This record gives sequence, structure tokens and C-alpha cells, in this order.
Amino acid sequence: MIHSIELRHLLPIVFKGMEDSERIRTSQIWEVPSFVFAKGCRICIHAESGCGKSSLLSFIYGNRSDYSGKILFNGKDTKKFRVQQWCDVRTKSIALLPQEMRLFPELTVMQNIRLKNDITGHKSEEEILELLERMGIKDKKEEAAGRLSIGQQQRAALVRAVCQPFDFIFLDEPVSHLDEKNNRIAAKIIEEEADMQSAGIVSTSVGNNLLLHGSKYIML
Amino acid sequence: MNSRFHSDKNIWSLLKRNVSKGQLMGYVLSNALGLTVVLTGMMFYLDSSHSSDKNDSFFSKDYVVVSKKVNGVGFSPVSFGKDEIDRLEQQPWVKRTGRFTSSRFAVNGAVDIGGRGLSTYMFFESVPDDFFDIKPRDWKFDPAERFVPIILCKDYMALYNFGFAAPQGLPQISEELACAIPIKLRVSGNNMMSETFDAAIVGFSSRLNTIAVPQDFMDWANERYAPGAETNPSRLIVEIDRLAAADMSKYLDKENMEIGGDMSGDGNISKFLSTASAVVTANGIIICALAIFILVLSIFLLLQKSRQKLHHLMLLGYTPAEVGAYYERLVVTANTIVTLAATTATLLLRQTWETPLKEIGLGEASVIPMLACSMLYLLAVTAVNIRIIRHHMTLIWNNG
Repeated sequence: MIHSIELRHLLPIVFKGMEDSERIRTSQIWEVPSFVFAKGCRICIHAESGCGKSSLLSFIYGNRSDYSGKILFNGKDTKKFRVQQWCDVRTKSIALLPQEMRLFPELTVMQNIRLKNDITGHKSEEEILELLERMGIKDKKEEAAGRLSIGQQQRAALVRAVCQPFDFIFLDEPVSHLDEKNNRIAAKIIEEEADMQSAGIVSTSVGNNLLLHGSKYIML
Repeated sequence: MNSRFHSDKNIWSLLKRNVSKGQLMGYVLSNALGLTVVLTGMMFYLDSSHSSDKNDSFFSKDYVVVSKKVNGVGFSPVSFGKDEIDRLEQQPWVKRTGRFTSSRFAVNGAVDIGGRGLSTYMFFESVPDDFFDIKPRDWKFDPAERFVPIILCKDYMALYNFGFAAPQGLPQISEELACAIPIKLRVSGNNMMSETFDAAIVGFSSRLNTIAVPQDFMDWANERYAPGAETNPSRLIVEIDRLAAADMSKYLDKENMEIGGDMSGDGNISKFLSTASAVVTANGIIICALAIFILVLSIFLLLQKSRQKLHHLMLLGYTPAEVGAYYERLVVTANTIVTLAATTATLLLRQTWETPLKEIGLGEASVIPMLACSMLYLLAVTAVNIRIIRHHMTLIWNNG
């Protein structure tokens, strides 16, 4: 279980040499001596395009390591994690909804969701169908993911993201293609799932925020 | 467990879309062909260098019998003088020589076939025992036992069965039967009463064109029946070095000598068969190498095409080993099919040469080296394939 994620002097390699720029100096995350995501937190990270939101989530998720500084899970440096440790993190501790969703377009919505749920065994078939129904895409469950609209894909990817136990869920612009009604439904589902596990929710946005209660807004 | 099964099906249905059936079939076919050629060449080599008939392998293929040419009618026997033998032994293609010893006494052999007695004057020759590859069980002579083992030229059997027996109203007899017929030898020498010995044929040779007895009998009998009448050998058996034998016939011509029977031909056939199978095997190895190259290329291409999918699966929490296992299963299956197909094809093809080779006294080699070779191939190629896959999975994990 991960209680805390601490960022120490974290900076993408591409921002090297720009430490004194306005953007880095005003950032509440980049180059900060210590920034901590605590379990149970509700944080919404605001940033303009190109500020490194997706990079930040990739660094935390172990997908990229082109950064300086340190990322510590429960005080342990993640750069020293081995393959199996990362796979455990990704199936037991940290859920991620990437901005590009990463659905397999040739597989159906259900097949996509099962690919995740099969390794975690977290949800029953009925629970998955109920989530799809609440998201309003139950009738698309046998449709190839590539044939859905972006908004529908976003909702399918969101259901997939919660098909695992987690201490933190990171959502990269989760509602960028959702209307307000669906935004509220998505926010409610994520909150319910997080509350059940006392997990933290970290979302990013360039404008269209996930409508969560009591979120702390910070600037990247 | 049940959900694992589902995920297996889901992942494979995702990954198999990038598997090119054409490429895979191409690999399986070309590699099965290549491996068949390799194994066939190898099996043929083993068969053609393995003697199936023990009686026939008295002389290894690298022995020839050398005699001097007889011109016109000669009453003084042609024979090799000591200096001639010395000169011959100095030739680069001569490893060693053995002298044929002829009997210097009169022999009369009598047998009883089908109730009819048959007797004939005979002659014997002998060569030193170490010029024999193997010896029949009874290949020895003890004066106390008075039993003489004989090795007969196969052609003599054929002469009797097909030329002599039928018109004379005598039965044709098999080699086994001939070996069971007791022979009475009556040997007489200078100024001596004739003595009798029991004798029997103990083996047949298609290469040794004579009636051979053990050297120890020959020495004993020559000394007993014709003491002091030492003569030069009229024939020599020569162990030759095939690699240096290019100018052998030129030398023999010059010295007025000739090679007896078909012995040189046998060596040539064996040499030809070995060379042919070596060429075939070399071709097979080339085909195999190309086929393996195709597979390695296909794996690279396949993993490259599937790179993003594989990386996304890893981001979902699948380990590189888990996703790589699907490709490992694929190459293990393909390589197993290739090996089984090639081994079966080789065993089937072998039937086409088994009978002809057996007729010339070759074949019936063990299939174990061939099977071992195909298993080794399966293990080695699969190991290399799996290594490549694992290496690629690590690259995808690290670089996305």
C-alpha cells in the first residue's frame, strides 16, 4: 500500500536550464524541494498545454524516467524499482487514466475492460455492466472501441481505470470530451471508488475540471 | 484461474492480428525443407559409411589388392621381389602392405551334398590377420584340433549356384547352408603321406577374391608339407591413403602392376557417396540458415509492429514475461512442427535408399545421431528465438 508519493526537486529533463523561468518559479510542483500526494487527497492540477502534465503522470507511473530529482513511494526511490514492482504498483496501488486513453481500437469495450480486470480480478461482470450503464455506454459494450466517439472512449477508459484496487488514481484530463452531466456522473463514480479504498484522486485539466467536491487546486 | 483464461484469449486475439500467417508459413515450410535436407544428408552419410553386412567388411574400403600383370604364357610365376615391395612401400599413398601367402602343398577338398560326394583340387591363400577388420569367431588354427576355417569369395558361391549346380543336377545352396556343410581336406606335400583335416566355411567376402585360411594355418602347413621352399608373394594387399592416391594408377601402370577386382571401385563409391551427402548437407545447412534468418526477421518485424500494443499491455500491469510468453509459445509451436515434419520426412525418404544401399552391403546405421541432431536443432533455435523475444520485451519495457 502506498501512503504517500513525494516529489523532490522534480523536473523534466527537457526543462533543464529553464529553472529560473517564470513558469518553473511559479510552479507548485516542478523543482519544489518536497511536494507530497497523501493517501486520501483530492487534488486538481491546473496547467496550460505543454507544461508537462502528462509527463508528470508518466514519471509517477514509471512509464518514463527522463527527469531529474526524485519520486518516492513511501520514501522509496522509484528509479530503483524493478519490473515486477512496477507491475504490482500498476495493478494494486496506482490507477491511471491517460489522456490518450490507450484503448485497443480493435477490441470491444468489454474486451478492453476485461484486459485490465482479468489481472486484478477487482470487479464482477455485473459491477462492470452497472458502471457502463451509469456512464451511458452499456449498449456499446460489444462495439469495437475504435468505433466509439472520443467522449464514449473516455467513459470506457474511465471504467477500465477503476477496475483495480488503488491507493491513488491519476486522471489526465478525464472529462475533456464530456458534457457537464457526464462529468458529474464520472466524478461521482471516481469519488465512490476512491472513498471505498480511502484513496487519493489527482486529476489534471486545462480548463474543463472534473467536478469533485473539496478539491485542492494547484498550478503546475 | 477462470479470469486468467479470459485474459489469455483477449490478449492473444489482440496480438495475433499482427502475426503474418504468410510469413509464419513461409518460415515453417522453408525451414522444414532445409532441416529435411540436412537430416537426410546426414542420415545418408551415416548409412553410406555404415556397413550392414558383417561378412562383407573383412577389408576396409581403403585396402586394394595389387598383383603383377601376366603377359602371354608364363611358366615362372610372376611375383614381387623384395626391392619391388620396398619401393611400393615408399609411395606416399601406401600406408602398409601385407603379403598374400600361397599354399605350397596340394589340397583336395571333399563335401557331401544331397547324398552325392563332390571332391576337387583346391588352393589356399592367406593374408596377415591384422589386415582383417574383424575376425569370424572361429578364425584360428590349432594343429591339435585339426580344424581349418575358410573364408570364401562370394563370387565362387554365385559361380557354383548359378553356373555349376543346375546343369550338374546339384542343389543350389544358401550361404548359411554352405557354412554348415562339413568339408574334408586331404593335404599332401613333398614325400609325405596325405593327411586329413576337418574344415568349414566361416564367412564370405565379396572383396577378397580367393579362398582364405588363417595365416597361422598357412605358415604351419607350408612348413610341414613344403619345408624350405620360400617363395615371393604374387599378390599384395595394400592399405592406401585415399587423399594421396591420385597418382596411384600411374605408378602401378609404370611398374606393370594392377589392382585386383573391384576394390578400388568400392572405395570410390564410398567416397562418392560421402561427398554427395556432404554436398547435400551443406545445401541443407544453407537453406536452414536462411530460414532461421527469415524467422528472426519475422520476429523482429512482428514485435516492431506490435510494439505499441505490447507497451500498452505493460502499462496495464502485464509483465514483459507475460506478454512475451505468447510469442514464445508461437515459436516453440512453429519449431516443434518444423522438427517433427523434417524428422518424419527424413525417415520416409530413407526408405528410398535403404534397399539399394543394403544390396551393396551398406546402410542400417543407427538413427539416433540424426534424431539427436534434430532435437539439438529444436533446442538451439528455440533458445535463440526466446532470447531475442525476451531481449525485445525488455527494450519495449524500457523505451515504450
